[in-house]
Amino acid sequence: MSASILEVKQLTINFGGLIAVNNLDMQVGYGEAVGLIGPNGAGKTSAFNLISGVYKPTHGQVIFNGEDITGLPPHVINRKGIGRTFQIVKPFGSMTVLENVMVGGFAHTSNRNKSKAIAMEVIERVGLQRKVNALAKSLTLADRKRLEVAKALATDPKLLLLDEVLAGLNPTEVEEAVDMIKDINKSGISILMIEHVLQATMAICNHIVVLDYGKKIAEGTPQEVTNNPEVIKAYLGDEYEAVIN
Amino acid sequence: MIFLVDFLSAVVNGISMGAIYGLIALGLTLIFGIMRIINFAHGALLMLSMMVGYWIWKFSGVNPYLMIIVVAPIMFCFGYFVQRVFIKPVLDAQKDVREPIAVLLLTAALAIVFENLALMVFGADYVMAKTTVTDATIALGGITVSAARFYALILALVIAYAFYLFLQHTELGRRLRACGQDRNTALLMGIDGPKTFAIAFGIGTALLTVAAIVLLPFYYVHPTVGNVFMTKAFIVVVLGGLGSVPGALLGGIIIGLIESIGAQYMTATLTTVVVYLVFLLILFVKPSGLFGSRLEW
Amino acid sequence: MDIVQKKKIGLIVIILAIALSIPLFVTKPYYIHVITMCLLWAYLASSWNLFCGFAGQLSLGHGIFTAVGAYVTIMLFNDFNISPWIGMFAGGAAAVLLSTLIGYPTFKLRGAYYALATVAIGSGVMVLIENTMTLGPFHVGGAEGLIVRLMGNAPAYLQFMSKVPYYYLALAMLVIVVVFSYWLKNSRLGFYLSALKEDEDAAAALGINVRNAKLVAAAYSAFFTAIGGVFYAMLIRYLEPMAIAGPMMSNEMVFLAVVGGSGTVFGPVVGGITLHAISEVIQFYFSDMAQGLHLFIYGLIVVFVIMFKPQGIIDILQKYYNRFLGISDRGEDESSVS
Repeated sequence: MSASILEVKQLTINFGGLIAVNNLDMQVGYGEAVGLIGPNGAGKTSAFNLISGVYKPTHGQVIFNGEDITGLPPHVINRKGIGRTFQIVKPFGSMTVLENVMVGGFAHTSNRNKSKAIAMEVIERVGLQRKVNALAKSLTLADRKRLEVAKALATDPKLLLLDEVLAGLNPTEVEEAVDMIKDINKSGISILMIEHVLQATMAICNHIVVLDYGKKIAEGTPQEVTNNPEVIKAYLGDEYEAVIN
Repeated sequence: MIFLVDFLSAVVNGISMGAIYGLIALGLTLIFGIMRIINFAHGALLMLSMMVGYWIWKFSGVNPYLMIIVVAPIMFCFGYFVQRVFIKPVLDAQKDVREPIAVLLLTAALAIVFENLALMVFGADYVMAKTTVTDATIALGGITVSAARFYALILALVIAYAFYLFLQHTELGRRLRACGQDRNTALLMGIDGPKTFAIAFGIGTALLTVAAIVLLPFYYVHPTVGNVFMTKAFIVVVLGGLGSVPGALLGGIIIGLIESIGAQYMTATLTTVVVYLVFLLILFVKPSGLFGSRLEW
Repeated sequence: MDIVQKKKIGLIVIILAIALSIPLFVTKPYYIHVITMCLLWAYLASSWNLFCGFAGQLSLGHGIFTAVGAYVTIMLFNDFNISPWIGMFAGGAAAVLLSTLIGYPTFKLRGAYYALATVAIGSGVMVLIENTMTLGPFHVGGAEGLIVRLMGNAPAYLQFMSKVPYYYLALAMLVIVVVFSYWLKNSRLGFYLSALKEDEDAAAALGINVRNAKLVAAAYSAFFTAIGGVFYAMLIRYLEPMAIAGPMMSNEMVFLAVVGGSGTVFGPVVGGITLHAISEVIQFYFSDMAQGLHLFIYGLIVVFVIMFKPQGIIDILQKYYNRFLGISDRGEDESSVS
C-alpha cells in the first residue's frame, strides 16, 4: 500500500492540440488537505475531471488507495471512495434538500430509511438542517454549495474533491464554509480542493500545488508557494490581465 | 446500356427528391440550430403549405410555381405567429430545464391540431395540382426525366443557395448565425432573442413552403402527407448534422439516392428499412452527423 | 395511525369501491367498453411514465412495445394455441429484450437525439410489421393485420363474451401499475431516476450507473406497456399495425401522461382517464359535425395544458388533496400524491 490516498502520475490530457493538463505529478496523503490553485484556465477543473473519470487521460495514471483507477467511469470511481463537487453547482432542482442528499446516501444501501438517516446526519454536518424540506432550486448560492458538499459526503468518500466551493460567497459565508471543510477533514476524509480564494485555501490546506497552463509550476507549504517567484509571476500576470479587461 | 439508362434516371430522380428532402430539412435544422427545438409540427406545416398552395392554384389557375411568391410570405407569417403565440411562452417557462421536452411535445400536439384543421377545412381527399408540367418530360442526354422533378431540383438548389447568400451577406443572416453559434453570447450582445427566434421559425416555415410548392405538380396532397416527409427530414438532419445547413442538403440528397437507387434492386420495404438502418447507424456511431453539428454555414 | 393516514386510506377505499361498483350501475356494453378504454389508456400512460416520466426521457416510440407484446402473444395463441395468460409473459419478455437492445446504443444519446431515435425506430418497426406476412411458423398478416382466433367465452384464454371481465381486468392492471409506480418512485432506483432526470453528470458523480438505471427502468416500462398491448388485442380482437404500433399509439401515451403530470405516480392515471374520457365525449358529439373536429379539439387541449399547466392536471388536484388532508405545503408530507 502506498503512502498516499491519491497519487497522480504524469497525468496528461490533450483536447485536439490544446494540452489542458500536462504531465502532472501530485499526491494527497491520507488525511491530508491539499489545495490546487492557479490562474483561470490553468487546467485545475480538467485535472479534477481526469481524477473523477469524466475525462479519460491521454497519458498518465491515477492511483487511488493503491489501486489504478485511470479511465474508469465516474460512477465506479465514486464507488471506490472519491466524492466530488462541481464548480458550477448541480443541485437536483426539483427535489428537496433531503432527497438530493438521499441520492448520495443510497450509494451504500438500498434501504430508504437507512439512506434517509445517512442524509440527515450529513445535512446536519454541513448545517442545512433548517432547509431539509426546501426545494434545491430555492436555495441561495451559499446553501447550494453546502448541498453540493453534502451530496458528495453522503456517498461516504475517503477523498473529497472540492471544486471552488468558496467562490462567490461573502466573507462570513467563506468563514463558515472553511470551518465546515476543516471539520470534514478532521473526521478523516482527505481533501483535494480547487480554490481561487487563496487565504481560505491556506487556512485549510497544509500543502498546495500550483498549476499554470496545465503544468505544475510549484508545490509546497502555503509559505513556500506564496514566496515562489514563478507563482507570483503567474498570478501577477493574471491580475494584470484582469486590470485591462 | 438499358441498365445504365435506368441507373442514371434513378440517380437524377434520387437527387431531385433528395433536394426536396434537403429543403424541408433546412427549415428543421435552422429552427433546431437557433432554438434547440426539434419541430415535430414541421410535417404538418409542410402539409398546410401544400394545401394553401393547392387551393390558391385551384381558384386562380396560375402557374403553380408562381405560388411560391404568394404562399411563402403567408407561411412565413404563420410560422412567426406560431412561434410567438405557442412556442415562446413554453420555451420561456422551460428556461432552467436542460432538455425542453415540453416544447417538443407542444410541437407534436400542434401537428395534430394543424392536421385536423386541414381535414376540417380541406377534407380528406387526395389532390394534386395537375398541369402541363405533371406529365411532361425533359431529355437530358440519353435519359428522360420528369419535368416536374427536374424543376423541383433546380428550384430547391436555387433557394438553398439564395438562403446561403442571405445568411452570409445580410444583417439578419448574421444575426441568425450569431444566435446559432452561441445563443447566450448573442443575446448578451444585444440581439433581440425572441424576435430572432420568431423570424427563424418563420424562415424555416417559408423554406418548407418552397418544398411544398415544387411537390404540388407531382405529389398528392392529403392531411397526413407531412408525416412521410417529416420522418425523412428527421433522418436527413441527423445524417447531415443537426444545425448544419450544407449537411441538410447533402443529407437529403444521400437519402434520396439511397431510396431511388435502392428501389432498382430491392423492394420498397427493404429500401425503407435500409434508410432507417443508415439513420440509426449514424446516430450511434457519429451522432454529430456527417458534417458536424454546430450551426455551420 | 394519525388522522392524515386515516384520511388517505379512506380515500383509497372510496375510490376503489366506486371503481369496483361501476359495472353495477353502468350496464350498456358500449359504456363499459369506453370506461375500460379509459382505464387501459391510464395504464399505458403510467407504463410509459415508469421510465420516460421518472427519468425525463422523451420516447415517442413506445408503440413498438404494445406491438411486440400483442403480436408475440397473439401469434403464440393463433398458431400454437398457447393461452394469452401465458403468452403475455413471452410478449413482455420480448419487449424487455427489445427495450434493452435499443437502450444500449440509444441511452447515450441525449434529449432531442433520443427522441428522434425513438421516432425512427418506431417507424422502422411499423414498416417491418406491415410488410411481414409470415415469420417462420407464425402468421403475421402484414398490413392487413391479425385477427385474434375466437374461442367464445373462454376465461382460460382471456376471452369473455361480456365486457365486464375486461373492465375488472383493466382495473386490476391499473392498480398494479400504480402500486408499482409508487414503489419504484420511492425506491433507490426511483431516486436515481429523479437525479439523472435533472443532471446525468451530477448523478454519475454520486455513484449512479446512469445507463444501467435507465436500462432497468426502461425494461419495467417496456414490460408493462407490452402487457397493455396484449390486453388491447384481446379486447379489440384484432391487431392492426397502424393502431397498435403507429404514431397515434406512441404519441397518445405521451400526451396523456404529460397532460396528467409526467414523472408523478398519479398524474398519468388522472391524465389517462380524464383526457381519454374527454376525447371519447368530443368524438361522440362532434365527429358528425366535421371530420377531424374532435381531434382538433383534443390537440388544442393538449396544447393549452402544456402552455398553461406544464406540471399537468395533477398539480391542481394536489392542492385539493392537500387541503383535504389538512396539509399546508408539500414539504411536510413526503408521501404526497406526487
